[in-house]
Amino acid sequence: MLAKHGDDARALGGGTTLIILMKQRALYYPYLVDLQTIPGLNEIKNEADGVRVGALVTHRMVELSPVIRQAFPVVVEAFSHIGNVRVRETASVGGNLAHADYRLDPPPPLLVLGTEVSAFGPNGRRVIALKNFFRGMYETALEPGELLVDVKIPTMPANGQAVYLRFSTLSANDWPCLGVAGFMTKENGRCKELRLALGGVAATPLLIDGLDFVMDQPLDDGLIDKVLTLVDVQISPSSDLRGSEWYKRRVAKVFVKRAIEQLNGS
Amino acid sequence: MKRDLTFTINGRMETVTVDDADTLLELLRDRFKLWSVRESCGVGACGSCTVLLDGRPVSSCFTLAARAAGHEVTTLEGLSDGDSLHYIQAAFLEQRALQCAYCTPGFVLSVKALLDENPDPSDEQICEYLSGNLCRCAGYADILRAARVAQGKALSLAGKR
Repeated sequence: MLAKHGDDARALGGGTTLIILMKQRALYYPYLVDLQTIPGLNEIKNEADGVRVGALVTHRMVELSPVIRQAFPVVVEAFSHIGNVRVRETASVGGNLAHADYRLDPPPPLLVLGTEVSAFGPNGRRVIALKNFFRGMYETALEPGELLVDVKIPTMPANGQAVYLRFSTLSANDWPCLGVAGFMTKENGRCKELRLALGGVAATPLLIDGLDFVMDQPLDDGLIDKVLTLVDVQISPSSDLRGSEWYKRRVAKVFVKRAIEQLNGS
Repeated sequence: MKRDLTFTINGRMETVTVDDADTLLELLRDRFKLWSVRESCGVGACGSCTVLLDGRPVSSCFTLAARAAGHEVTTLEGLSDGDSLHYIQAAFLEQRALQCAYCTPGFVLSVKALLDENPDPSDEQICEYLSGNLCRCAGYADILRAARVAQGKALSLAGKR
């Protein structure tokens, strides 16, 4: 159906984004392809090397899932703050990622956990690393006719910890101003690996590059400052309703520092 | 495009013809005259259009009517039996947790869904669950109290107190 109608058709997951944008006349599609008719896309499966979450799993299912809470509490944290309970009962994991809004809560923690998405289309199935999935504002690596069918989160190493910090400047259930996800593995009290991802401060959710220099270094203020400088170079926040560019840069530093300190156990 | 829709509304199975673009809110109010379902923000943020879909709270303003096919929809009219109030409605009245009552059906249904899922929520959990229901008249302290009274009633009905 998507192939038949081309640009006139759009895949419909939960509908919390698409239906609202269509009601507001921001978008219009004469044809909506109801993905809820496809069986098997709404399961959360424990696999040997991680957890696979179907694209039509709702945010609420993630929020309440004992499997995900056990394996990745940071993912539960991220999904549990989206909108309100009615939005979370309706919105889908796949729809969230395919929307590719720059402020979304799930991408930062999913990025630091090394998540991969599976796409299925006319040329069959392929796996795309989430870090290569967001191509631009509302633009993903999905080709025309391709659907996001599931998300695979690899098992965290035993010495790994993850955190997601979300900062809101407006009301309770609103989009965040920004979000920071961190992942760290430690050995003998030293940081082995640090990963950081930020939402709301670039055209897409952003995985920070070039953090290898922290390996085996003590996480003192000097090192953290170097990390903050690196983050500041890579982000490109725009002024919007939830903060000016200047403000977001300042707050991003605060929250990246907090994330590192939490991971480091201070 | 028009399509036939068969679904259960407040315990009754119904078949109607809807337009693909109809929202569940429009169907419930305009066709079924279920006035407890209200529109306010139109984008799912305020909760006044809350209905239960298979027992789960959803915003009928952003739910396509066609998506109710084969499912059970409950509105406030489906909670009471027509002669006496549901104990959650009674709790809201006793605790004066309403003034204009525009938001009240949404709150009552949300409290129902919450207690069905979690019979013993903390104050924080109640407030978090109801954070998507907005009231501009009464105020949330009264509503929290009403939810607590309703919770007590639910627990005693279940024989746990």
